[in-house]
Amino acid sequence: MLPFTSSGSKVIPRHHVSGYSNGYPRGNTLEMSPHRFQPRGTTPSAVRRRRLFVRLGIVAAVIFFFVLCSWSGTSFLSIFSLGLISSGDGIQLETVRYYDLSNVQGTARGWEREERILLCVPLRDAEEHLPMFFSHLRNFTYPHNLIDLAFLVSDSKDRTLEVLTENLEAIQAGDNESQHFGEISIIEKDFGQTVNQDVESRHGFAAQASRRKLMARARNWLLSAALRPSHSWVYWRDVDVETAPFTILEDLMRHNKDVIVPNVWRPLPDWLGGEQPYDLNSWQESETALALADTLDEDAVIVEGYAEYATWRPHLAYLRDPYGDPDMEMEIDGVGGVSILAKAKVFRYGVHFPAFSFEKHAETEGFGKMAKKMQFSVVGLPHYTIWHMYEPSVDDIKHMEQMEQEKLAKEQEEKEQAEKAKKMKEEFTNPAGQWEQDKTKLQDIALKEKKKEAKAVVDAAKELPGAAKPPAAKEKEKVVARDGKQEGGKT
Amino acid sequence: MARPMGPVRLKRTNPVTLVLGAALCIFILYFVIGSSAPDFSPSRKATAASHHLSPPTSPFRKPASGSKPKPPPVAHYNLNNVTITPNPLENRENILILTPMARFYQEYWDNLLKLSYPHELITLGFILPKTKEGNLATTQLQKQIAKTQKTGPEKDRFKSIIILRQDFDPPLASQDESERHKMQNQKVRRAAMAKARNSLLFSTLGPSTSWVLWLDADVVETPPTLIQDLAKHDKPVIAPNCFQRFYNPETKAMDERPYDYNNWQDSPTAQEMAQHMDPDDILLEGYAEMATYRALMAKMAKPDGLLHEEVPLDGVGGAALLVKADVHRDGAMFPPFAFYHLIETEGFAKMAKRLGWQPVGLPNYKVYHYNE
Repeated sequence: MLPFTSSGSKVIPRHHVSGYSNGYPRGNTLEMSPHRFQPRGTTPSAVRRRRLFVRLGIVAAVIFFFVLCSWSGTSFLSIFSLGLISSGDGIQLETVRYYDLSNVQGTARGWEREERILLCVPLRDAEEHLPMFFSHLRNFTYPHNLIDLAFLVSDSKDRTLEVLTENLEAIQAGDNESQHFGEISIIEKDFGQTVNQDVESRHGFAAQASRRKLMARARNWLLSAALRPSHSWVYWRDVDVETAPFTILEDLMRHNKDVIVPNVWRPLPDWLGGEQPYDLNSWQESETALALADTLDEDAVIVEGYAEYATWRPHLAYLRDPYGDPDMEMEIDGVGGVSILAKAKVFRYGVHFPAFSFEKHAETEGFGKMAKKMQFSVVGLPHYTIWHMYEPSVDDIKHMEQMEQEKLAKEQEEKEQAEKAKKMKEEFTNPAGQWEQDKTKLQDIALKEKKKEAKAVVDAAKELPGAAKPPAAKEKEKVVARDGKQEGGKT
Repeated sequence: MARPMGPVRLKRTNPVTLVLGAALCIFILYFVIGSSAPDFSPSRKATAASHHLSPPTSPFRKPASGSKPKPPPVAHYNLNNVTITPNPLENRENILILTPMARFYQEYWDNLLKLSYPHELITLGFILPKTKEGNLATTQLQKQIAKTQKTGPEKDRFKSIIILRQDFDPPLASQDESERHKMQNQKVRRAAMAKARNSLLFSTLGPSTSWVLWLDADVVETPPTLIQDLAKHDKPVIAPNCFQRFYNPETKAMDERPYDYNNWQDSPTAQEMAQHMDPDDILLEGYAEMATYRALMAKMAKPDGLLHEEVPLDGVGGAALLVKADVHRDGAMFPPFAFYHLIETEGFAKMAKRLGWQPVGLPNYKVYHYNE
């Protein structure tokens, strides 16, 4: 290979096709060379050294190459694709996020500006309500990809979590892209609630303060885990809303208020009046209530809708007019939690659901108070109504049982009466026959009398023929008239 | 075309050239591979979110370009499993370091990098005002972040970093020391500060944070074990003492002096004053016009005192403050209004107490404030 190894020289004729123009053969060029200048440095030792370098270089390159590959974990493919295709599993992490909060202020026409809404739903043993809730969710007209869902499942003993997960996964995996929601977080946290969830203990007065504080904690945990810097709005919705307009998000947003709530009523059975105000936590502050608050202990919580605290506040619920303007607004101080739309900045600035007595209020009512304190606008819509589910209370159930019994008693009574009537009818048919007999008898008597009279008249006529006739005719008429009357009454 | 005859030098391939060429190839290959994003350890990749719509406290996988975006997954977070223990290192608890920033100090960033708590468990959150000064600070901050997160060694890289820009104007154009500390400006200034803190807190807390460390942008020196040391106390809210180093012309040597007066224990005088105040007025600390006679933690430091001595506090400062995430999750925030005549961090301490969490301070455990 190297010059000195070649011994013989070949002289090839000029212009030979296989050689160079100077006569050297084309093939093993390096092998010839009697005429070539032999550099002085090309001593065998130098050559060996050079060869060693080459080999070392190749070995180093190969090792480097393998080390590089194994260390970076990238496949050979990615190297040959020159990094144009990202490495194997496509994992590239982004660790830095930048947000400008002035872009997420919330405006009246959020759907046009692609403003994101965080929908917060606290849940506890709510499995039975979930199908209804999901039907509402699917029907929202606000673009679903702009709605982020956050659920807090706490202290649940039923299958709330499983049903929720199944439903959500079905929506996200569905073919209908317009149904896919944005970020979905299911948060589990147990607070060790001692208060029962049944209607009576939930709404009993004594349990209210601690129950409301606990609910407030749950809401705060949900919000703080789910609120992101990309949210413009936060919508709180209870799972047990039965009827609400599909456009409720847009309808509430259009008012462009910091905090806004609709009126919440519930349908009732007819015997209870057909409908009833449900959410009494949306109210305007009154002097009486402020005076009452001053007299209370630091940790006391005023709860609305109980006789124990007569506050004389104007309630949003009672101001409803079914034919009123649904866009009418009313300034309020306390808000109810069934359906609250608030700008995300309200929560970012620190307004939350006090789990302590804040100005003698807790949870959503305290939230309204705190929002007011921070100069946010808090309004309610008295004539825009959504309907909460009707769950009969223990009293109602008692009443209903009583009603059921009454109904049964009534039915029984009716049945008895019907039987009586039947009996009476049966009994009354006999007198009719009797009467017929009586009638014929009477007629017979009348006839006999007539005959007798006629006989007498004939006898009398023998004495006074003109005077006796009229009284006899009169008598007969009378009998017929009485007869007719009685016949008519009978039939 | 035949070439004219004559001596033609046929170049022999020089082995040195070969070696050089190979080296060059490898060099190029290295950059071809190395030009893609910085690589992360498998443990980091495992905790990364799969969609960009995810809590900002974790990094997310960038979608491969050109592929159709998938709908976000249904994410489960079990907050019953988020532990908050005196030994966060062992339980691999996530720390969120929050810093409202108006000016960027290189010393602050260097100190942050020195923290010995594993960086892959630390998320940083910043909020900066949208002013000229804020823009400058953002640029400087982003430069340092890029340096650390993209080209820095993996152990220096933080889990994730969130930069927020404020959506309200700061009440004062000037952040000058003298202007900033004027009493009449305090309420407005601190209300704005409280809003900034709350905005930062409630949009970054997320579902996996165990501890929140509030660290002001002008705190330039802390022990590297700050997080572990404070967490060891297992207190809901714990504040070290904030001092400032300065050149003392009297002793002609570097010396230190107390800086943060917002860590205090309440006094009957202060409560008496509060009773006669308008509900919207606030009590302030460190002003001669308003002598409250509260016991200040800044004055409690003893040169020979125990490093880990604890004192209960009624008001806290925000210079450095380690808070259990549960306290914030329960709703304890920085009131931007007069809350029991207290505002911002002092109001926070009061609110934490109302929720049943008692703040404590460490008078002899010091962190140092920047000296302008």
